[in-house]
Amino acid sequence: MPKQARFVIGIMLVVAAIGYLIASAVSNTAEYYLTVNEVNARRGELSGQMLRIAGRVVPGTIQWDPSSLTLKFAISEPPAEGESPVTPVAAGSLGTAVFNVLSRGQPKPDMFAAGRDVIVEGQLDGDNMIEARQVLTSCPSKYVPKSKPE
Amino acid sequence: MPLVGELALALALVVTSYSIVANVLGTQRNIPSLVASARHALWANAAMVTVAVLALLMSLLQSDFSLEYVASYSSLTLPTMYKVTALWGGQQGSLLFWTWLLALFTGIVAFQYRRSAVLAPYALSVLAGLAIFFLFMLNFVTRPFDMVTKMPTDGQDLNPLLQNYWMAIHPPSLYTGYVSASVPFAFATAALITGRFDDGWIRSTRRWAVFSWFFLTLGNLFGARWAYEVLGWGGYWAWDPVENAAFMPWLVMTAYLHSIMIQERKDMLKIWNLALIGVAFCLTLFGTFITRSGVISSVHSFTQSGLGPFFLAFLLCVTVAYTALLLSRVKQLRSPAEMESYLSREAAFLFNNLVLVGIAFAVFWGTLFPVLSEAVRGVKITVGPPFFDKVNAPLALALIFLMGVGPLIAWRRTSLHALATTFATPAVLGLMTGLGALIAGLRQWYVLSAFSLAAFALGTVLVEFRRGASARQHMTAETPVRAVVNLIAKNNRRYGGYIIHVGVALAFVGIVGSSFFKTEVKKTLKPGGSMDVGPYELIFLGLDHDATAHLESARAELQVLYRGEPIARMYPAKLFYRRQQQPATSVAIRSTPMSDLYAVLASIDDKSDLATFQVFLTPLVFWLWAGGFVMAIGTVVALWPNVRERSAIAALVRGTVAAETGPPAVLEGE
Repeated sequence: MPKQARFVIGIMLVVAAIGYLIASAVSNTAEYYLTVNEVNARRGELSGQMLRIAGRVVPGTIQWDPSSLTLKFAISEPPAEGESPVTPVAAGSLGTAVFNVLSRGQPKPDMFAAGRDVIVEGQLDGDNMIEARQVLTSCPSKYVPKSKPE
Repeated sequence: MPLVGELALALALVVTSYSIVANVLGTQRNIPSLVASARHALWANAAMVTVAVLALLMSLLQSDFSLEYVASYSSLTLPTMYKVTALWGGQQGSLLFWTWLLALFTGIVAFQYRRSAVLAPYALSVLAGLAIFFLFMLNFVTRPFDMVTKMPTDGQDLNPLLQNYWMAIHPPSLYTGYVSASVPFAFATAALITGRFDDGWIRSTRRWAVFSWFFLTLGNLFGARWAYEVLGWGGYWAWDPVENAAFMPWLVMTAYLHSIMIQERKDMLKIWNLALIGVAFCLTLFGTFITRSGVISSVHSFTQSGLGPFFLAFLLCVTVAYTALLLSRVKQLRSPAEMESYLSREAAFLFNNLVLVGIAFAVFWGTLFPVLSEAVRGVKITVGPPFFDKVNAPLALALIFLMGVGPLIAWRRTSLHALATTFATPAVLGLMTGLGALIAGLRQWYVLSAFSLAAFALGTVLVEFRRGASARQHMTAETPVRAVVNLIAKNNRRYGGYIIHVGVALAFVGIVGSSFFKTEVKKTLKPGGSMDVGPYELIFLGLDHDATAHLESARAELQVLYRGEPIARMYPAKLFYRRQQQPATSVAIRSTPMSDLYAVLASIDDKSDLATFQVFLTPLVFWLWAGGFVMAIGTVVALWPNVRERSAIAALVRGTVAAETGPPAVLEGE
């Protein structure tokens, strides 16, 4: 066999192995990344699946018990792009789905607050409840408070 | 001040545009004075952008809140050091900073190659072209000197997460690494344009490539260290898109630095090298694009802004143009030389390149997966850290193995028998380490192989040093220490590289140890209460409140007991930044080579005296940082000016035939 061909075979084997690693890792670790309304629209097919759900913390729903590290809150659909990123959404505004989130055994993230955008990782059960494995807060490098300079 | 800055940026755009015209016309019509004026224009550009940077810096230091940038990223109470770092803490400032580095580096290149009439004019035009894009952005799209209509009394302050020592040095390092990668890219483009396909472009920019790699390495490590100290989750790397954006160019640059040795020595892999530097450079642009465009949601994404489309268009233009240029030259680039044997250094390097690029591709795929799945299947699917861990863990093992093989295996071909003799010592070292770990009670196959391979890789470096030093001792009767020092000094590029390998092996041990053996304990305590973390017991002594104009803080005092004996006190704290109304965590870390004790004051209850602590015990993570330090030292050794190499490059620059018959000092040793 010519030398060059031998190397081509070796290279193809390595490339195939890396491709296989990627493909198998994707199928084992993929999670849906959806917003609250998207989850609501297709909840039938999603029950029991690991999800990452982007939502906004509904003001007035946060319950935090530091001694048991239990955090409960509700999330609603974040406003579409282009809208002001900090407009608080009123609890249960019309036409918006709301899910309750329960996080146990995790400290409350620093940036967690009413009206903030969060990503909740967990499974949705039958009663609109998400048992969260992780709650991530988005932390924009430029946080824009109420009084943006004009 | 703002007017001065704005004017300087406008002038910079003009002179940079002029330099391209002058360089190209001057070279094609052979008018040296025009080429010289192009050079002067680039120096003027460097001066102009410097003026703009100083203008923004002055405005920040003077808290001139009539400037939107200052009002958005600084405040009256912000410590002076962070007023300086606010220069690159926001969108416009970081682009200005980037442009500044590009202008300075271009000016340096223009000086270094002032006597070169072959590649330099084209390379400088490429660099000027890049500068024009950034200057266009700064002049018309994202202007750092925009004013506010109504001046606020105080600024909104820098994000508290960025008010940290590591965050102060992480972005400049990364930007330096990103921007200096454009120098080898520019010379590669110039080689393609002019049809000078010898390794002249590689040799004249090798130092820039190593320089870039050095700062990419530091940038990644500083970022990891920042995440470790500031984010308070006990880890240092989360495979976030922003982190991946910095990691991918590093991987490809590492591959490039290895494969150019093959071209310099064997005249092979020409197309591959040109492709690699193109990919590395495009990845730096891609990194800037994804951190600023909001296309990929990142947990710590940069400001959403209108820059995305511009960056994407620019990235596509560069990629398409470079690919087309490369494809048009493929026929002329084919190399007659062939690989001879799998048992050769060429082959080891080839596979190291495949693995590095494979890792980069996997990271790229995982980072873009949400976008791709949405485009193809209409639903966003993400792959999180488990994906990256699963793919990269086996590839990392392969890489460490090849890192051990590369330095010892002979060029061209070798016999199995010779291989067995060469690798006997490192192999035994690796097996002993594995056996030792097994006896010590470790059972995970991955950890056992990782530690064995790391010991194997360290062993090969040891063998190389011993071989070189004893050869010197035979010839010169030097003392062993003297021999090692001279060995490094005389072949700094090669032995600097080996020192980097030591650093990589150590860092790998740190990563494996901290990933597999991290333990976490969470508990809410009253003052006087205690918690057990591995062999340690932590007693919560009490909270201490403090306040300055800039921030409020609550500091917990923890007494650390080791097997009943008090050994240290730790002070994790919670900070509250007044301007941004935002809490932040200040972690307490007690670091030893065996393990890090990492305490977070997760939350405090104002009504009672209850405090929740989250404590991590992370074995071996010390070695990640130590390994990073060793890598940095090795790179400095490799970059240290070497008289023989310098004269060789000078000859190259003057356009003599040195490229073909270069002295051995420039080459990688046997």
